[in-house]
Amino acid sequence: MSEMGRIIRGGERVALSHYSLDAEQWEAMLAAPGATLSLLSCWADEHRVYVLLLEGDCPLIASTTMEERRYLAPSSRFPAAEWGERVAYDLWGVEAMSASGDGQPALDEGVWEATWPLSSRPGPGGQAARPVAGRTVLPAEKSGLTGPLELSFDVVRGKVQGVSVNAGLAHRGVLHRMIGLTPEESLPLVSRMTAGGFVAHPLAFCRAVAQARGLQPGPGVRDCWMILLEIERMSVHLFDMARTARSVDAGLLATHCEHAREAIASACAEQGISRRLTDLVRCDGFRVGLEIVPLAQAVVSAMQPRMAQLRELQSVFAPRLKGLAVLSPAQAREFAVGGLVGRASGRSLDVRRREAGMRLDALRSTGSSEGDGAARDALRLTEIRDSLALIQRILGSIGMDDDEPAPEATQEGIGVAEGARGDIWYWVRLRNGKIDAVQARDPSVSLLSVLPAVLQGETPERLPAALRSLALSPSGVAM
Amino acid sequence: MSVFQKTGPLSVLHAFIDASRWRVSPENDAPARTGMISLYVLETGGCEGCAMEVESLCGSAFALERYGFRRVADPADADWLLVTGAMSRACVQMLDRVWKAMPPGKSLVAVGACAIDGGLFGAGYATLGGLKALTQVRKTIPGCPPSAQDILSGMQRLAGR
Ligand code: SF4
Repeated sequence: MSEMGRIIRGGERVALSHYSLDAEQWEAMLAAPGATLSLLSCWADEHRVYVLLLEGDCPLIASTTMEERRYLAPSSRFPAAEWGERVAYDLWGVEAMSASGDGQPALDEGVWEATWPLSSRPGPGGQAARPVAGRTVLPAEKSGLTGPLELSFDVVRGKVQGVSVNAGLAHRGVLHRMIGLTPEESLPLVSRMTAGGFVAHPLAFCRAVAQARGLQPGPGVRDCWMILLEIERMSVHLFDMARTARSVDAGLLATHCEHAREAIASACAEQGISRRLTDLVRCDGFRVGLEIVPLAQAVVSAMQPRMAQLRELQSVFAPRLKGLAVLSPAQAREFAVGGLVGRASGRSLDVRRREAGMRLDALRSTGSSEGDGAARDALRLTEIRDSLALIQRILGSIGMDDDEPAPEATQEGIGVAEGARGDIWYWVRLRNGKIDAVQARDPSVSLLSVLPAVLQGETPERLPAALRSLALSPSGVAM
Repeated sequence: MSVFQKTGPLSVLHAFIDASRWRVSPENDAPARTGMISLYVLETGGCEGCAMEVESLCGSAFALERYGFRRVADPADADWLLVTGAMSRACVQMLDRVWKAMPPGKSLVAVGACAIDGGLFGAGYATLGGLKALTQVRKTIPGCPPSAQDILSGMQRLAGR
């Protein structure tokens, strides 16, 4: 166990993996000698600040109380925490002391009705302002992404430098809307958190809720969830490949990806479910009437024959993505970038590998350390291959493993799902069956802090291609 | 099994040939149109589900141009503004900027429940609750998300085709 982990475990255990620290322990955690645990998420409300960390492949939450609406900033140790700190300030008006980062607003562009809208003492709106004068701006409608994200930067000798990211334009206040609802009532909101995770987001949420309730989904539900997740992975990878291909004039590759994605959607529709797998995951399993075996078979039949040609085209056009938006292995490690982007940069994290019942032999991809657009694209295709293998392995023994033991019900749970764009985490706390507190972490958040470094040195014209290759999802970041 | 297993030097040629064969939307029932309607697409703070469906429609799996529509990259070339998303307050400026850049005779089309009235997200401290909070919207395409085919059918209906 790391020293940091030991200090956290010295706090009061309030749930399965959650320790409440006093101010001294919190400070000691941030100054702990030795290795720094990977930070997945940092968030706060008016009373407490939390960090969700990864120790090995196990989640660990540490939290502490605010003192006069201030707290010692986790970003003083975990650079990736600065986004969560800025969000907390915008929503609640709580301040991070000794924070790293530029302290720019995260979500509040100065156009909300109120400042600190979730605080017990909100102020009048229109306070925040983002200085951009004199800088080049890539406006949100031209970012190349499917959601609004704005970049401002300097151009020095034709190259981008000093990138600032305005990622809060798509903020809808979804998490706040869930408070006071039952998990079942809030599921429609979770199911529309971001379109790259129509399955993965509700799945991570339902796993968190099950843990909080002390329930363990049976092997039939577990396998159905796994299959849905793999179908979504293939569809979203194809979308991201197509969009990236279009931005480097690789129209032929894009065409084949688009057709393959459409074939998956049609296979779903022919099985009587929504084309993008919306509203299939339920807290207690899956939508009544979903026939997972014929669905899986139809999707495999639609995809399998296309793989050789997709691979060929991907390798033909790969040189156009060489050197695009390079995320080095060291950066991936420091900012705990997971998911496909992290795996293309030498980070091996894939939370599927720790799931009970996972058919590990199907996950053959070993990732890459190149970290550029070409590596990400090649890996997307390799992961589609693995998804097909995994679905077939599950079909060979569906629902057959032994039940896992149920966890102790603590009214608090953590759930995770390896979505197409990375690991999605939910933390929920229930009170009288309703949601008392909730936090979600989309993988795009882990990219935010490292994005300026990754985009540095690109030409302004290549920025849309770079952002598409990273598959950043503004709706997942801003929520 | 068919040409798809062909790899090697000729594979790109085969890929060209196969590209039209894979297309899923039926082309035969669509008479070619000359009076093109140019579309500019703007996402304003939804889950991106509708925006991704519009992307699919504008990709090569659908023969958008055969139905008399084309996507443009500059609002100055657009006839219709397709808006998706819940209209976050922070996106109003962007909408205004794009709308003003469009030439006279333009139309606003709300695609999806969010753009129409905020959908699941409604109105709140950060969202306006769809375009209806800003203006009267006569052209709407419902769904959450509407499929690419739904959007195409909706646009044909709105164009009186
Ligand atoms: S209407 Fe539905 S699918 Fe479309 S952006 Fe809103 S929540 Fe997403």
